[in-house]
Amino acid sequence: MIKGVLVFNNTGKPRLTAFYEHLPIAEQQRVIRETFSVVSKRPNSLCNFVEDPSIWGDDCKIIYRHYATLYFVVFADDSESELAVLDLIQVFVESLDRCFENVCELDLIFHYEKAMYVLDEIIMGGMVLETNQQKIAQSLQAQGKIDGDRILSRARV
Amino acid sequence: MFEKSLGDLIKGIRAHKRDEAEYIARCMEEIKTELRTTNPKLKSQAVLKLTYLYMLGYDVSWAAFQFVECMSLPKFSHKRIGYLAASLTFDESTDVILLTTNLLKKELNSPNPFECCLALNTLANIVTEDLARDVVADVLRLTDHSDPTVRKRATLSLFRIFLEFPDALRPSFAAIQERMKEENPSVACAAVNVVCELARKNPKNYLGLAPVFYRILTSSANNWMLIKVMKLVGVLCPLEPRLSKKLVKPVSNIMNNTSAKSLLYESIVTVSNGMMEHEQIVQLALSKLGEFLSAKDQNLRYLALVAIGNFQRTSLALVAPFRSAILSCLDDPDRTIRLRALDIVTGMISQDNLVDIIQLIVNHIRTTDGAFRNTLVEKVVQACCQGTYVHVTDFAWYISVLADLAVVPNNVHGVLIRDELINVAVRVKGVRNVAVATSLRLLGDERLYRAQTEQANACQVLHAAAFICGEFGTAEDIESVTIRSARSHQTSQLLHGNSALLRLQMLRVRKRRELLGEIGKYSVRIVGSWRCIGIA
Repeated sequence: MIKGVLVFNNTGKPRLTAFYEHLPIAEQQRVIRETFSVVSKRPNSLCNFVEDPSIWGDDCKIIYRHYATLYFVVFADDSESELAVLDLIQVFVESLDRCFENVCELDLIFHYEKAMYVLDEIIMGGMVLETNQQKIAQSLQAQGKIDGDRILSRARV
Repeated sequence: MFEKSLGDLIKGIRAHKRDEAEYIARCMEEIKTELRTTNPKLKSQAVLKLTYLYMLGYDVSWAAFQFVECMSLPKFSHKRIGYLAASLTFDESTDVILLTTNLLKKELNSPNPFECCLALNTLANIVTEDLARDVVADVLRLTDHSDPTVRKRATLSLFRIFLEFPDALRPSFAAIQERMKEENPSVACAAVNVVCELARKNPKNYLGLAPVFYRILTSSANNWMLIKVMKLVGVLCPLEPRLSKKLVKPVSNIMNNTSAKSLLYESIVTVSNGMMEHEQIVQLALSKLGEFLSAKDQNLRYLALVAIGNFQRTSLALVAPFRSAILSCLDDPDRTIRLRALDIVTGMISQDNLVDIIQLIVNHIRTTDGAFRNTLVEKVVQACCQGTYVHVTDFAWYISVLADLAVVPNNVHGVLIRDELINVAVRVKGVRNVAVATSLRLLGDERLYRAQTEQANACQVLHAAAFICGEFGTAEDIESVTIRSARSHQTSQLLHGNSALLRLQMLRVRKRRELLGEIGKYSVRIVGSWRCIGIA
């Protein structure tokens, strides 16, 4: 199961947070801070995995990707495959890109709830829901139309 | 009144970098007023702003009731925000979850599939035992909905429902099995996902589904499904040896033919967890593992080390061919990889190779950086004392190792080394003279006197050295140290303080021995006198 998904920028400011395993607010902020502290020190040439039980306990793999000014971090337990989760992060970013032409940090800052709706197509309640790029985009487009949402209805299928 | 949209709030926060907290406090007050409105657009915007502030770390639990109100708004774009707020901020202690039951049931039975999906999504995040009991029938019905996006969500949300309300599992299981056979890959995947998660918690109960897993491993082309089933097989095989025999062929096929590294890796791990009795597939897995270990991709090398750790648990001999590759990983610029390599290396320790391996690690300590150095020091001590020193044959050597570790720069394990030195000196009579000689050397070592901050507490070792000299040393030994410390450390107040402490400790130890000696003599005299007067 996926315990949480975080997106924060190069200075540690959260841009999107989803905690599927509930934590009290102070703990959530601690996880964000400590993860940023560990991940920001790692140059891009190192592997995309971190092992640190002090952040979220023993059964927690920390898998991350760094795109320009944003870190995408997924916390997963032993039932998830590390390489598959790396692919999933890629799917998420691709989906964002299909909604926001050439997605950048500003898009996430001002439309964070749209980014959450995109994430909701991929992960639901901590379980992986959909991994097919096409299907995700189709669903977002359809939702966008009934919602009158300019951004989601533009999702490139 | 000019009400701020979410965009305005965000712009405002960005513009108030220096007084962000005050600005947000003002906005919170505005939001509290806005929440009282009956205007659905304003209300939903206020709720949306609160979810944003929640992400920044502000408590919004006081608005839970208003979130529920927002969830009951008629327009989809407005109620969706309420559902988002609920998903993100509600937890087991949120009592208004009870109020959402009827709301959710209404949405689950809506003719609009988007509304069903909305409810299912939030349900998966906030479900409690009571809520689960009330909605499980509706969710089950939705697993047969005409729209696949509803079917897949309904199926997937069942897992969270079962977690809260286990009684629902048995009557629902048939529905899940139906979904596993579906044509639509997303729905089938969702069902397989649920079954795999359930089976990890209770593997024995799912051995009966083995034929289904066999079918998937031999015929599915969906990598996600294959990965989930492969991982599950690794959990089931140890429970049923006949199962692993049957699955050797499909798993080997997958290992030989798949182009997906993720699936290949999971196959290797599954072999290490549940198929170790089958020579051929183990060899196949190890050869694939070798490819991972020598890959340029850091991710693959890290994962190879994880898998080697698995194989090592069953058989040290199997991982021997990888030894030099693993040792070179101790030098890797990537800390994640170094830690794994270190784990494996210490796992290789036996009586025969303890000295060699520890020497190797000690060499690394000299060349590596700060934080990792401390991890290595700790590992060395742990490796030596594990099983109450079962691997250590030469305690004089161990004392010399401890002495080397003590003087490692910025060492935070002063207390650990101190305790170990005392432990060994007290327990192992035969090395006491070595312990004393080493302690005398340490007492004269400048570096230890300087290391007395929170982060670098190697000076603790001096206490051990003083104790050992006082307890097991001769009078001349003690005298020589006192003079040495007095002569060479007169310049610094700090050092003075320390050498005084040490002298006091040594004197205390010696005095205690003398005192005990005196008491002993005195008690002999008393008993003697008692005898004279006929008491004893």
